Amino acid sequence: MTASPVVSISDDAGLARAARHGSRAAFGRLYDRYARMVHGILLARVPRGEVDDLVQDVFLAALRQISGLRDDGAFGGWLARIARNRAHDYHRRSREFADLPEDLAAADRRSPEALAALEAIRGLPEAYREPLILRLVEGMSGDEIAARTGMTPASVRVNLHRGMKQLRQKLDGEARS
Amino acid sequence: MRDDYLWDGSGDPDPDVQRLEGLLSGFRSKRPAPGLAAINRPAGARLRWSAIAATIAVTAAGAWLVSRGAPEGWQVDRAGSAPSRLAVGETLDTGDAGHATVNVGDIGVLDVEANSRLRLERARRNEHRMSLEHGLIHAFIWAPPRSFVVDTPSAVTTDLGCYYTLEVGKDGAGRVSVLSGWVSFDLGGRESFIPAGAACQTRPRAGPGTPYREDASPAFRLALEALDFGGGGDQALTVVLTEATKEDAFTLWHLLTRCAPSQESRVYDALAALAPPPAGVTREGILHGDRIMLDRWWDQLGLGTTSWWRRLEGKWPESRATR
Repeated sequence: MTASPVVSISDDAGLARAARHGSRAAFGRLYDRYARMVHGILLARVPRGEVDDLVQDVFLAALRQISGLRDDGAFGGWLARIARNRAHDYHRRSREFADLPEDLAAADRRSPEALAALEAIRGLPEAYREPLILRLVEGMSGDEIAARTGMTPASVRVNLHRGMKQLRQKLDGEARS
Repeated sequence: MRDDYLWDGSGDPDPDVQRLEGLLSGFRSKRPAPGLAAINRPAGARLRWSAIAATIAVTAAGAWLVSRGAPEGWQVDRAGSAPSRLAVGETLDTGDAGHATVNVGDIGVLDVEANSRLRLERARRNEHRMSLEHGLIHAFIWAPPRSFVVDTPSAVTTDLGCYYTLEVGKDGAGRVSVLSGWVSFDLGGRESFIPAGAACQTRPRAGPGTPYREDASPAFRLALEALDFGGGGDQALTVVLTEATKEDAFTLWHLLTRCAPSQESRVYDALAALAPPPAGVTREGILHGDRIMLDRWWDQLGLGTTSWWRRLEGKWPESRATR
């Protein structure tokens, strides 16, 4: 499986500029391009059943705040921060979250192996789980993850490598136990 | 090097990564691409970012009414007031100087201009429906196609994943202007598909007219209006066919299925001159209303294929084969 190719971030900056100046069509294109990133960031942090609703929340917040975006070229990093903050708010406001069965696994039609793999990633340190989910779930390439989130390619590479190493150990350990 | 595969899927496959990709792809974002077409800002579109950006702080003030109801429904933001809910069955009237921003569940946003009156008919997770009695709305919908429907007195407007403006007069006549994506305008089986950069009018009893480019010549638009609603005959058709450019091919394609039988061959010839039919599409077939041939010709126009909107609903604009 080949991860998705990099798209032009300078093009995204143009869309962000247009969106900031009133083009909601441009905002729609940004939504199209960044929906996977936002979905992945949230999936790394909140219960699966909440992710789709929170994706919409993040884009609504972005639509409302975009006039205050200072650097059009930093749209991705700015949106990623909104998504991470939204996940943080979710946990702060959801006292009952700790009591939730993790996304009602019994009602999930996905295989137990898939659910276990996702939970293994979500149990990794935060620095690793986000790039791994963007790569393995959302199908983004390392370059695309870096460009979209505003991280450096070197950081993404290191986190993917270390995260994958920890994930292998974790899955191997679970398989033996 | 195995890290290359982890990085971007290139190089020698890493079996562990491959297995995880397969297992985890089911959790991927399900949002389909909205198919946004190249965006040409229509000259006549009344888009005001100052109004759009006012999703939180709407600056306009004025009389308006939202009858409070159940917590379900749409959130409505207006100047100087706390957000309120518009429940199913309730009516929003923005009044003379009012303006409202409406969150359509979590699938989009409406800007509702002054002197607009709408009623919320349905608000389900993936299905939202309202009627616009009169007024002007700007709709930005990011949900999958056909998630958002607007009934007007003279047509049903169905969002196909897009951003558009819809205006309805107190006489029931309407006009939709599409900025991105597609909109379908439909009444009683007479359906128009309107791409980005195009507009379409509708009239009570007549239903939707023929879609046209926003920047088509005034003569073209007037003649088309006469054809659609004014009983325009051969003279109006002559103007349309003379003024048409290659970019108007989608207009002529619609005319193929709705002009008078005596005019069909003229429309065919004009369309064929602007956008030659693909191999296998014949004059005889088109003039007999062959649906497959009409689809193939549309696909040749470079506006996307018919298959996706046909698949979405399985309907066909009224044609000789169905009337």
